[in-house]
Amino acid sequence: MASTIHDKGAGRPVGLRLLDLLEAARELLWPARMAPLTPWLFLLPAVLLTGLLAAGLIPLLDASLRPLDRATFRLAEDYALGNYATLATRPVYGVIALRTLMAGLIVTAATLALAFPYAWMMVRTQHAWLRKLLLVSLFLPFFIGQVVRAYGWLIILGKQGLLNALLDGLGLPPSSLAFTYTAVLIGLVQYMLPFAVLMLAPALTAVPVEVELASASLGARPFATFRHILLPMARPGIVAAGIVVFTLTLTDFAMPEIMGGGGNDFIASAVYDAFFQLGDAGLGAALGIGLTLVGSAVVGVILAFFGLGTLGYVEGREERS
Amino acid sequence: MTGSRKAAWIIGAIVAFDLLFLALPTLVVLVASFTPGTIITFPPPGFSLRWYGNLLQARDFADALWRSLQVGLVCTALSLPAGTLAALALARFRLRFATGLQIYLLLPFTIPLVVSGVGLMLVFGRLGWLGAVWPVGVAACVINLPFMIWAVAASVNHLDPDLENAAANCGAPPVHSFFTVTLPAVAPGILTGALIMFILAINEFLVSLMLTDARTVTLPVLVYNAIRSIITPDLAAVSVVYVILAVAAIWLLDRLVGLDIFLKSKQG
Repeated sequence: MASTIHDKGAGRPVGLRLLDLLEAARELLWPARMAPLTPWLFLLPAVLLTGLLAAGLIPLLDASLRPLDRATFRLAEDYALGNYATLATRPVYGVIALRTLMAGLIVTAATLALAFPYAWMMVRTQHAWLRKLLLVSLFLPFFIGQVVRAYGWLIILGKQGLLNALLDGLGLPPSSLAFTYTAVLIGLVQYMLPFAVLMLAPALTAVPVEVELASASLGARPFATFRHILLPMARPGIVAAGIVVFTLTLTDFAMPEIMGGGGNDFIASAVYDAFFQLGDAGLGAALGIGLTLVGSAVVGVILAFFGLGTLGYVEGREERS
Repeated sequence: MTGSRKAAWIIGAIVAFDLLFLALPTLVVLVASFTPGTIITFPPPGFSLRWYGNLLQARDFADALWRSLQVGLVCTALSLPAGTLAALALARFRLRFATGLQIYLLLPFTIPLVVSGVGLMLVFGRLGWLGAVWPVGVAACVINLPFMIWAVAASVNHLDPDLENAAANCGAPPVHSFFTVTLPAVAPGILTGALIMFILAINEFLVSLMLTDARTVTLPVLVYNAIRSIITPDLAAVSVVYVILAVAAIWLLDRLVGLDIFLKSKQG
């Protein structure tokens, strides 16, 4: 076999012998002349797994072009744009789309505003315990699913919840936040905060602290340093965090479904309902395709402005080499 | 000077608010799980473990938890090789169509989850995969795979290409150098990615909602269905299971690679 590691004697450790065996198998199945293709072999499992997702888009695209025949309750045999026309003309979908877009903007703005100081303190603090506290506080909700967190918010905002108990204790009138748009937004911001901080932190680490200090020692007020130094230098991270928060909000299902009480549906709920309540797969598929296109278009436009590296896997390497 | 004092106060206030805001739902669920009554009220009228006792009796929750753990294991077992190898290929080699490939591999993030769920339901239906638990794990892997690739790709920055060249130069054949040089160098990224994939999988809700039925329901779906009917403290006790799993995962992550890994600049 091709192995050229020396010392083939009986003293060779078991681990290395195992590797010899694997090497021999590799030699048989993937001889050296195949080496140029190795990266493609490495990519194969991920490409196939993602292929399951891509394959799912085909029947959806197909169904979206077949309007429901109300007489037989089956999708039409022939292609037509009826489903897309329905989306464009039925006002309820305009309302849902607007509600979802509004939420996307509000949640993105609020999340970035709350996340930036958090990420900055996490990166800049001199105290190890504070950094650890901030990291743990971030990961704990991140690792607890959306459903459980929504449940926690319902307990807080509900009629007999924590908030009303506090208001009552202060002699204030009770609030009725549960099952409102505001409740959905609160839940979403809390859900998105860890995503945003985790994307901002590496970008802020990349800004040398000396630059901030220099700006301050030259007499810049903190806001000026933030506006003219931090903001431009951390831009890739801010843009990436904004994209992620905006698209995740745009496509969210659980928060509006659980916290909105049925009257605050987002587009994703409409897709789900079309499939599983109305039984109109064509309409649901058209809605889903529309949502995918809007989301991808937003990401595409932002990336076209700021460069693909923003979301790329290998940003750092490209710049170094 | 007063300007920076004021700025420090504002930043401190926002961060303090963030900390409370992030912790509040978890804390409330913890408190509610010890409620003695059948409804959740504040302040709690007493302390009782009855809902935990109920939980041990309730087979449906235990079964759903076990299924969720299976989903997590399947997802992690698939993501480990698929994500690691893809990240190495993308980060180590100058590939043709690299940009197209990256866009393709980011599909799980650009396709809305609800669309992914319906699409996977249709594909799995055709493959005859519906009605079992393991395909939910496959789905969890598919929709979160970019997280795994990201985690490993971030670690590739710490891998000096010359190390592999040196290994080859010393006569190490490819498999030897892969397992003794490449993998150990990116191990922190692999561990981080694997843990995140496992946690995301046991929490996966929307796609599971469409891929499971009454016999294969996973824990998040079961909790969701229960919330929609009536909010009782037994759900709080179930939720505490997730809090415990999250704490365990964070502890492991900190022990194995250190949480600071997430503060590292991508510019290395």
